Amino acid sequence: MELWNKKFVGSVALSLTLLLAACSSDNGGSTTEPEDDDGGDTATEEQVEITYASGVDVTGATDILIEEFEKQNPNIKVNRREMPADTGASHDQYVTIFSSQSSEIDVFDADVIWPAEFAQGQYALELDRFIEEDGINMDDYFPGTVQSGNFNGRQYAMPMYTDAGLLFYRTDIVETPPKTWDELFEMAGSLQGEGGTEFGYLMQANQYEGMVCNAVEFIAAYGGGVVNENNEVIVNNPKTIAGIQKMIDFVNSDFVPRNILSFQETETNNAWVGGQAVFARNWPYMQSTSNDEAASEVAGNVGFSLLPSGDAGNAATLGGWMLMINRYSEQQEAAWEFVKFMSGPEGQKITAVEGGRAPTLEALYEDPEVQEAAALFANEEFVATLQNAVPRPVSPIYPQISNIMQVELSKALAGELTAEEAAANMQRDIESAMNE
Amino acid sequence: MNKRSLNEKQLGYVMVAPALLLVIVVILWPVAQSFYNSLFDYRLNDPSRSERFLQSNIDLERYANDFFYLSRDLDGLSEQAPDPDASEKVSEIGSELMGFHEELLAMDGVGEQYEIVEERIASFQAIADRDLKYSQVDNDFAESYKDFLTAAEADLTALVEASDDEEFSTAASNVAGSINSTNAAVIESNFIGLSNYGRYLQNPRMWQSLMNTTVFTVISVGAELVLGLLIALLINRVFIGRGIVRASVLIPWAIPTAVAAMMWGFLYDGQTGIVAHYFEQFGLINDASVLLSTASGGMFSIIFADVWKTTPYMALLLLAGLQTIPNTLYEAADVDGASKWQQFWKITLPLLKSAILVALLFRTLDAFRVFDLIFVLTGGGPANSTESISIYAYITLFSQQNFGAGSVLSVIVFLCVAIISIIFIKFVGSDLFAGRSGR
Amino acid sequence: MNKRAGIGFYIFLVVFVFFVMFPFIWVFLTSIKPPGEIFSNFRWFTSNPSLQSYENALTNRPLARYIMNSFVVSSLTTIIAVAIASVAAYALTRLPIKFKGLIFGVVLASSMFPQIAIISPIYNFITDAGLRNSYLGLVIPYITFSLPIAIWILATFFQKIPWELEESAKLDGATPFQTFRKIIFPLAAPGVFTTAILVFIGAWNEYLFALTINTEDTWRTVPVGISFYQSQFTIPWGDISAATVLVTIPIVILVLIFQRRIVSGLTSGSVKE
Repeated sequence: MELWNKKFVGSVALSLTLLLAACSSDNGGSTTEPEDDDGGDTATEEQVEITYASGVDVTGATDILIEEFEKQNPNIKVNRREMPADTGASHDQYVTIFSSQSSEIDVFDADVIWPAEFAQGQYALELDRFIEEDGINMDDYFPGTVQSGNFNGRQYAMPMYTDAGLLFYRTDIVETPPKTWDELFEMAGSLQGEGGTEFGYLMQANQYEGMVCNAVEFIAAYGGGVVNENNEVIVNNPKTIAGIQKMIDFVNSDFVPRNILSFQETETNNAWVGGQAVFARNWPYMQSTSNDEAASEVAGNVGFSLLPSGDAGNAATLGGWMLMINRYSEQQEAAWEFVKFMSGPEGQKITAVEGGRAPTLEALYEDPEVQEAAALFANEEFVATLQNAVPRPVSPIYPQISNIMQVELSKALAGELTAEEAAANMQRDIESAMNE
Repeated sequence: MNKRSLNEKQLGYVMVAPALLLVIVVILWPVAQSFYNSLFDYRLNDPSRSERFLQSNIDLERYANDFFYLSRDLDGLSEQAPDPDASEKVSEIGSELMGFHEELLAMDGVGEQYEIVEERIASFQAIADRDLKYSQVDNDFAESYKDFLTAAEADLTALVEASDDEEFSTAASNVAGSINSTNAAVIESNFIGLSNYGRYLQNPRMWQSLMNTTVFTVISVGAELVLGLLIALLINRVFIGRGIVRASVLIPWAIPTAVAAMMWGFLYDGQTGIVAHYFEQFGLINDASVLLSTASGGMFSIIFADVWKTTPYMALLLLAGLQTIPNTLYEAADVDGASKWQQFWKITLPLLKSAILVALLFRTLDAFRVFDLIFVLTGGGPANSTESISIYAYITLFSQQNFGAGSVLSVIVFLCVAIISIIFIKFVGSDLFAGRSGR
Repeated sequence: MNKRAGIGFYIFLVVFVFFVMFPFIWVFLTSIKPPGEIFSNFRWFTSNPSLQSYENALTNRPLARYIMNSFVVSSLTTIIAVAIASVAAYALTRLPIKFKGLIFGVVLASSMFPQIAIISPIYNFITDAGLRNSYLGLVIPYITFSLPIAIWILATFFQKIPWELEESAKLDGATPFQTFRKIIFPLAAPGVFTTAILVFIGAWNEYLFALTINTEDTWRTVPVGISFYQSQFTIPWGDISAATVLVTIPIVILVLIFQRRIVSGLTSGSVKE
């Protein structure tokens, strides 16, 4: 083995060089056949086991995916490792595991906000050589999702499914959904109380990651931003402040629940299916929970549209999950096979049909089975929303940026700070965090 | 007698040894590491600071990877250069780089290590072995190498900006990127001594969280002590069904904190929470929504849940203490005609003192480190008004992966708790130690 | 304090227990409601109670297995911790060894550090020892967390036991260890069983280490297992309530058994002088 390795060092190193040079110049034009005999063939004969870590899945889609994959790759056995449903809790678990350079997990689900951080921390494997080798065209995926998995020009994560914020409304109360935040403000105020409702509007304003998603939507709708593409902090500008101010107006209006500051997705969903509100901002999953007749009082009366616009158009925060490979995995080839399957059209179709999750491959929305799986997927407006979803800042220190935003925005929403003060504080704190 | 006492002494040490050994290996060792961590700018999510380095080091894995393209790209770049000045600049950088590189490889053992690393990289193996991945280098060398790399990157960026030739620009900025990456592989010591402490002692968020923790600890432990004592006195009486009452009073404490916190979140909910609903109905709060969505409501909620959950613990400890008070004392007091109240103050409290001290001490230690309950119930919000110092430390450690700063916060918790314990033992518990060996 | 209690006392007792138990009662009532009724009103009793949630709780996840795991881990922790701690506490209170204050201090200091800060080193330690996903992997850290409080409580108890008893045993020729086993330990029974309950429930409640160290479903303990009922955006309250009720039953039985020993320690006349 040693000798064999030595023989190939030269050629492999060369192809590696070419590969990486190719992808850093961004157009993989001419590449040599990369490591044609590097394990690929031996792997098909050897029986290998990989461990796939993902959050709790009540839809059962994950099991079907694994079953299908094992059928196609009889030499690879996939062990499932369940992680906590809470995104933050599973992030912290991954940090504990990967920082000890453990190889116990091979493939794992990553929230769209993790890849840069995990890449920088050297927890994740660059996937470029695999992508190149198997000729996967990243242009088939929604650009925002690909961008979220890219750090310093290298691809560390493959998009699996995507999410974007939507405005839900009661079709029995509202005829045409509002187009702008100001219209929504007015309608929520005037329609509150109709059709047995108690509130005009529901959103997520608790001090947690979901509130940052809500804030990013307001900020982007008014043309502001947090960190620009040159990694400069731009949060303290009039447009961002206008967005934050709009959010403050909503939170302090009398048509949202008085405890809106403790609202997360669960509270939103509970109040919504209880028929308590006219409008609500939530992720696409609420479409299926509201139409579940056993638990919902509003089944059949729920419509959705794009989130309203501000001065600079409308914006929905990009959510969803990616697949990454542990850098210290001992089964990288097999792990990649699994990632390729899961993120490819076949895997994503299963995820969409069985799990009701929105694919990241644009072409899948043309697939009749996918269209049938959920009304959303056949809706052009929805697909357009996903396509244009706004990513949260892509940064290796995103958790810190998010934490700063959570604290300052929460203070602003609670009335302890003005929008201007919050923006100035965020500017100061994020800048100092980035310069550390 | 002398021999026997020696035996007793030895036996004593033998009896203490297993406990001490376990505590030292499993707890004090990690604690010592945390102290050590706190002296470094130690961040897992930054490759140049993801280890604790007292000395300058080279991350050979990164370095070898980057150097490979760098040396090759630099050669090609000088030929592509649009004008001789730029070409000369580029080759100057190239030769200087090679100079540094050779100096590095000539160092003791570095050359061989470098070769092994290169082979591993070529076969796409990640290097987990710390001794192989890092190589210690001279501080001055690291500093001058870094200075050179920084200057070279700036020079190249300047060339990129000055040039109209797009092909050259792209190539040059790629090389500048690689230089930047190489620069990150040359790691200077991240030992910063106590400066992280200085920073956090001036950090308003730290003080705010310390304040929140103190408020939480004082109120909840105080309430638990009073209520726990009442319950202990109550269930120490003889009555029918005492066993059932004792067991049911302990139920709150037997529900795991993680579950209890979720449950209270459900009970406090502004729309559907039954507890919030009744509080509002009985006029305790003017609106069911304030419990989890205002600063004071949030603090009240976590204290109330904590009191509910841990009062039984306090009661059980005090009950055990009550059991050791001989009944004969009360009988004698009855004979002397002392009132129940007098008996409580003159007999119960003094004899319960050490039990109270231990209960109070351990509850305070626990409350000061409160984590699960707040993490699940409020997550530190709204507006950070319920963030305890442990929550802040946790966010810093795990969500931001800043182990240096997180350790600083943990040490601060440790110091506060240590001070509290010393005060307790000094003022309240001197009798626990006194007279132990005396009698 | 031995007087029989009157009617007023019992009324007070019932009200008191009701208040203490209210959250748990509510959880129980929630657990027998059909899912649609859980959020919609404040009605106490449902008109059509169902055991659906219990069925879900037991079938969606291996709850029985979680209970068994917790039970084994907590019992092992309790037995080992109480054994080690009582021996140490005896030596610290009754035997003439040096540095008592220091040892008490070191033991106490180990419970002053926030646990979250030592998760990573302990995780690495347990991983290197090959004890991940096993009972022992949790028992070892749990013992160390329970030792400080166990030693301190037991010390206060041992200290209260009259020296005369020990002296007379010595005169009869008993070795210090015999004295400890035959005289001190039984006399301190209330303390020992109190400690046992405290340690047991402490181990039963622990969440973060259990989550980090035992990552396979078959080795999960109750608190971690229950947290896995929820998925990303939904919390099935009915199932969680049912699971909470189910896992509390063994604890209640256990406390009922143990608390008799607390009483028996007293009635056996530990401190009759």
